Amino acid sequence: MDLLKYRFKTLFKYKDLIRELVSRDLKLKYRRSFLGYVWSILDPLLTMVVLTIVFTRLLGRKIENYPVYLLSGRMLYDFMKDSTNNAMKSVVGNAALLRKVYVPKYIFTLAKVTSCMVDMVLSLAALLIVMLVTRAQFHPTILLLPLVILQLYIFCCGLGFFLAQLNVFFRDIQYIYSVMLTAWMYATPIIYQLDERFPRWFHIAVKGFNPMYYYIAQSRDIIYYGNIPGPRIFWGGWLIAFVMLVIGVWSFQRSKDKFILYI
Amino acid sequence: MSKYAVEVENVKIRFNLASEKVDNLKEYAIKLMKRELMFQEFIALQDISLKIKKGESWGLVGANGSGKSTLLKTISGILQPYEGIVKVNGRIAPLIELGAGIDPDLTARENIFLNGMVLGHSREFMEKHFDEIVEFSNLEKFLDSPVKNFSSGMKARLGFAVATVVNPDILVVDEVLEVGDMRFRRRCNERMQQMLSGGTTLLYVSHNIESVRNLCQYAVWLDEGKMRMVGPASEVCDAYAEEQETQLRKRQAEKRELLRREGKKYDYLIVGAGLYGAVFARELTRRGKRCLVIDKRSHIGGNIYTEDVDGIQVHKYGAHIFHTSDKKIWKYVNRYADFNNYINSPVAVYKDELYNLPFNMNTFSRLWGLKKPQEVQAKIAEQIADLHITEPKNLEEQALSLVGRDVYEKLIKGYTEKQWGRDCRELPAFIIQRLPLRFTYNNNYFNDFYQGIPRGGYTKMMEKLLVNIDVMLETDFFEYRKEHPDMFKKVVYTGMIDEYFDYCYGHLEYRSVRFETERVEEANYQGNAVVNYTDREVPYTRIIEHKHFEPEEEQENPKDYSIISKEYSMEWKPGIDPYYPVNDEKNNALYEKYRALAEQEKKVIFGGRLGSYRYYDMDKVIGAAIADSAKELNIWIQ
Ligand SMILES: Cc1cc2nc3c(=O)[nH]c(=O)nc-3n(C[C@H](O)[C@H](O)[C@H](O)COP(=O)(O)OP(=O)(O)OC[C@H]3O[C@@H](n4cnc5c(N)ncnc54)[C@H](O)[C@@H]3O)c2cc1C
Repeated sequence: MDLLKYRFKTLFKYKDLIRELVSRDLKLKYRRSFLGYVWSILDPLLTMVVLTIVFTRLLGRKIENYPVYLLSGRMLYDFMKDSTNNAMKSVVGNAALLRKVYVPKYIFTLAKVTSCMVDMVLSLAALLIVMLVTRAQFHPTILLLPLVILQLYIFCCGLGFFLAQLNVFFRDIQYIYSVMLTAWMYATPIIYQLDERFPRWFHIAVKGFNPMYYYIAQSRDIIYYGNIPGPRIFWGGWLIAFVMLVIGVWSFQRSKDKFILYI
Repeated sequence: MSKYAVEVENVKIRFNLASEKVDNLKEYAIKLMKRELMFQEFIALQDISLKIKKGESWGLVGANGSGKSTLLKTISGILQPYEGIVKVNGRIAPLIELGAGIDPDLTARENIFLNGMVLGHSREFMEKHFDEIVEFSNLEKFLDSPVKNFSSGMKARLGFAVATVVNPDILVVDEVLEVGDMRFRRRCNERMQQMLSGGTTLLYVSHNIESVRNLCQYAVWLDEGKMRMVGPASEVCDAYAEEQETQLRKRQAEKRELLRREGKKYDYLIVGAGLYGAVFARELTRRGKRCLVIDKRSHIGGNIYTEDVDGIQVHKYGAHIFHTSDKKIWKYVNRYADFNNYINSPVAVYKDELYNLPFNMNTFSRLWGLKKPQEVQAKIAEQIADLHITEPKNLEEQALSLVGRDVYEKLIKGYTEKQWGRDCRELPAFIIQRLPLRFTYNNNYFNDFYQGIPRGGYTKMMEKLLVNIDVMLETDFFEYRKEHPDMFKKVVYTGMIDEYFDYCYGHLEYRSVRFETERVEEANYQGNAVVNYTDREVPYTRIIEHKHFEPEEEQENPKDYSIISKEYSMEWKPGIDPYYPVNDEKNNALYEKYRALAEQEKKVIFGGRLGSYRYYDMDKVIGAAIADSAKELNIWIQ
């Protein structure tokens, strides 16, 4: 119990550092590219346009208001991808600093996931624009979105911690993970609909073992379909998020004292 | 609260490292399958116990990999001890270079905030102290440019400013202050002193022992992870420096032994461990040539050799004062010695009168009781005019026509006759070309910009010049050449040029001097380093009291005795140490003939005062050696 109190105290002590790190990430991201913030809206919009053309015109699939369908899933997936990717490199990337100063190492991982989350929230404007342009209906369920984002944020923190510590010991994780991410994307119904054209085993695999399915299904429900998410995916989402967090924190805790020898 | 800032008790740091670095999963998996994954225990620190009181300054010294940084990291909390306890009371601020860990793309302003927060400050705190930091770092103009464009000195400045905004309880400095310009380093030192007096505890790691000595009260010497010595910084540093030196010497000796066993030849054989030979050897060695220096004497240094006699540096071959106007040469010698601010102002004793030298207003006012330069100039002009000398036929007439009767009779005549062993009327006029007269009250014998004596003597300087170079003493060149004709490729010869050619055209002539050195039981024998005796009746030309060349040493270690040398001029005969070449027409012509022979010797370079038969001041010898060695190596120097 004391330990927990101590942890929260340090977290509080370094809250300004986290804020500063997050604002650094955003500043640099927007400063580096010519269009700045506009780019983080333009980017999902443009990919959406391309995918919409490919998917509906060339492949002739029929999904109603495809742009909104796509974006409501893709934004979450992109957030997961960016945040875990960045989190993975967060400890190794700050090696020079960590060698000299005592700073709780998870601060950097946490800051990365957080800044990606903020970035995603900011680029929600893209979704808004698309919904306005396509005259999509605004369902009141959309107000539940923060809950979904929170679940995913917790999940990403857990995964991020796990990857960050692993990357300290095995640098090639980065390559392996990027291959996995590609596979993961195709195994998640983002650009397609998980309908009866897919075999049964695929349905079971995706719904049973792909955490992203839970978050994307929830977000689709509240944005696209206007449904309250079913209890299975809603509570499943929370459960997965916390299980991942426990795994991440545990693995990080266990090995953090050894980092210094490998960075 | 405890009075200790840091307590370290029986700390042991053990690493479990893979014997080969495996940092990717693929190799890990392969090694795991082949069962090749071996771990090795590595003990980085052992039995470390330290108690550091608040406000103390501690330095850590030791070789690379001795555990200095590991200990610092353990105290900072970056590393966890495997065994033992580390207790820290207070806030630790490590000094980190900005840009090392924080985004170099961010501006200085942003980095200041980030860095401050990394150190655990709040945003509010940083805002309050921002201006202070900027002021200390002196980087107002660059606040909004990215740190990646900064020089390492600027980064250090910023880092230092942030780390020291408030007096941290414990400041940890690890090799950071070595960058930056002098001014910044001085400011850092001042700031650190200020913090130390304000109660900050300092932990300092540096390769530079001098800075540890200056900054720290105590030091720990770490050797292979163990504490070798703890105590006052100066003692620990001394012991460590000494050990380093012996290690170095041992390594060199081993290397030399190895080369010798392999029968490796030297590129150059340098004959004469005097100033010319030593500088030449240094320059060649610096550029990767292997040199052997031999000397027939039993010591290095040639004629500038100084010998420690009861704690006094005795100039064995006559008083040597280094003086030059050449800035490059001055810088060069200062790399090898610390020069004091000795200024040569000899005095002359004539019967029971005493005069300042060189001839200046002090001398003249003593002679004639005159005060104004105009009066003195008129007096001398009058004395010269009275003599009606138009064409001086000998030295006496030459001198008279330059300075008049009084100065000549009292200060020149007797001294010159003792020097040359002949009457001034029998000496040729050319010996004295000019007799500079100074119409100011200035007793500085030399007109050069720079002047001084190496502290601790010339021999120490020569040792430094010859570090890493093989030296064989009591070895005569002509014998060595007979015994080891193929140990070397080329020769640099600084002995007598006529001897090299076996005097085939006859002997070049020299003047010589001899010294009678004695210890007197008086703390201060004559009150000056050099006193000339200008009347003929006193047999010696001057007396040197050696301790006055190093007044600072005398101040530190006063002695109630003194060492003096009486200098006698004498005729030179073959076999006696040559001192001054006699550069008259006959000898110069003879030298030219030897020089022509020397030019035929393609594998021998002749140099130094004996090899080129001329009087050289030390600075000129050094200049010549540097230039000749550069020519030999085909290097251009400006
Ligand atoms: C009395 C006196 C006072 C001086 N005072 C000053 C002064 O105040 N300021 C100043 O700038 N300069 C002074 N000088 C000049 C200064 O001494 C010389 O510039 C300097 O010593 C020259 O160095 P060197 O290497 O050319 O010769 P040396 O120092 O003479 O070195 C030659 C070396 O070669 C060795 N050697 C010779 N033949 C052989 C051989 N066959 N085999 C092996 N070794 C051999 C000798 O033993 C000697 O050690 C003074 C000189 C004298 C004589």
